[in-house]
Amino acid sequence: MIAATDRIVLAAGVTLRQGRLADEVRGESWPLNGSAAFVLGRCGEPIGVTVREVAESFSLPLETARADVLRFVWHLNRLALVNVESGSRRVERLHGWLRLALRLAPAGSVPASLTRRRPLDTRSALRGLGTCLAACARRTAAVAAVATVVALELFSAAGSPGVALPVALGICTGLGLGLHEAVHAAMLRGVPSALVTRGRRTFVLHAAVPPGRRSLVALAGPLAVAAIGTGCLAAAALAPVPCLAVAGCPLAAHALALTVFTGDGRVACGL
Amino acid sequence: MRSLKAFLLGTLAVGIVAYAVAAALAVSAQAAGRMLDLRLGPLEIVSVATQGTATAITFGPGLLALALVGGLLNLAAATVIRRRAERQGDHVD
Repeated sequence: MIAATDRIVLAAGVTLRQGRLADEVRGESWPLNGSAAFVLGRCGEPIGVTVREVAESFSLPLETARADVLRFVWHLNRLALVNVESGSRRVERLHGWLRLALRLAPAGSVPASLTRRRPLDTRSALRGLGTCLAACARRTAAVAAVATVVALELFSAAGSPGVALPVALGICTGLGLGLHEAVHAAMLRGVPSALVTRGRRTFVLHAAVPPGRRSLVALAGPLAVAAIGTGCLAAAALAPVPCLAVAGCPLAAHALALTVFTGDGRVACGL
Repeated sequence: MRSLKAFLLGTLAVGIVAYAVAAALAVSAQAAGRMLDLRLGPLEIVSVATQGTATAITFGPGLLALALVGGLLNLAAATVIRRRAERQGDHVD
């Protein structure tokens, strides 16, 4: 959802150069026509203001200008070239989202998710790991919170009292996501990369690398997390600690990302 | 080579997940002081046996069988995906 008070900003690594939009991560650039350069030249302004200026400058009806600008912004955001910064408070955004969701409900759809691109410092493996963990910290925390609530419900329905097991399960579910992406980033040492989130999806966008390295990067994320999970389970089996065994399960489940049913698995198999 | 990769990765993935589920069940059973004997037909997957005060967790060949089945399924899925991609490549409107 994009509101009139929202602002667009070029994503990290994206620049405007001599009438072209260049993406350092993809290593590509695209020519801009007059209206595209006009809109992108007004990055940081509220979109509502940009729409009025487009309508005035190009002698367009306001509705046509709004539709054109929003279509352009959505397209660039979908490609992770621009981020949309909200100009309203979180509560107002939630209210607006709920209103739109209610209007779309009869059609069986939900408001489209915005894409957000965050920079990753891949000058060294450690920096890649650290910046990626920091970049997806909020998402990791959100996934951990949701998983904990769901686990609490399930454990309670199964008649298992206590919060230690559900909390361990939830924390490891969130941590698994963060570590998975962080290991991908660590393996991309020296390659321009960015972390992209869109709706439920989280992925590392990176410059082209040779096929062998691409497979290795794809394998490393799930394999590292699954190895940690397996280690937890092996330790739990040696010294029976149910909490450790339960916590290891969501980490070990990342091994499923090695199959061709997921993007990482398909890349690893060269499909 | 791609087929071998798909088979090996599928085997590894299902092997790890099967081990994780089996280990979690076994540790939970052990902590609750219960016996467990999980089998895939005649093949043992995991068992928890108590002898006196000692408790032993044993992982059996059923885990390996499950992993191999996973590898074959992944290989089959990879073949389907590749064939579909090839068919799309030949398509002309």
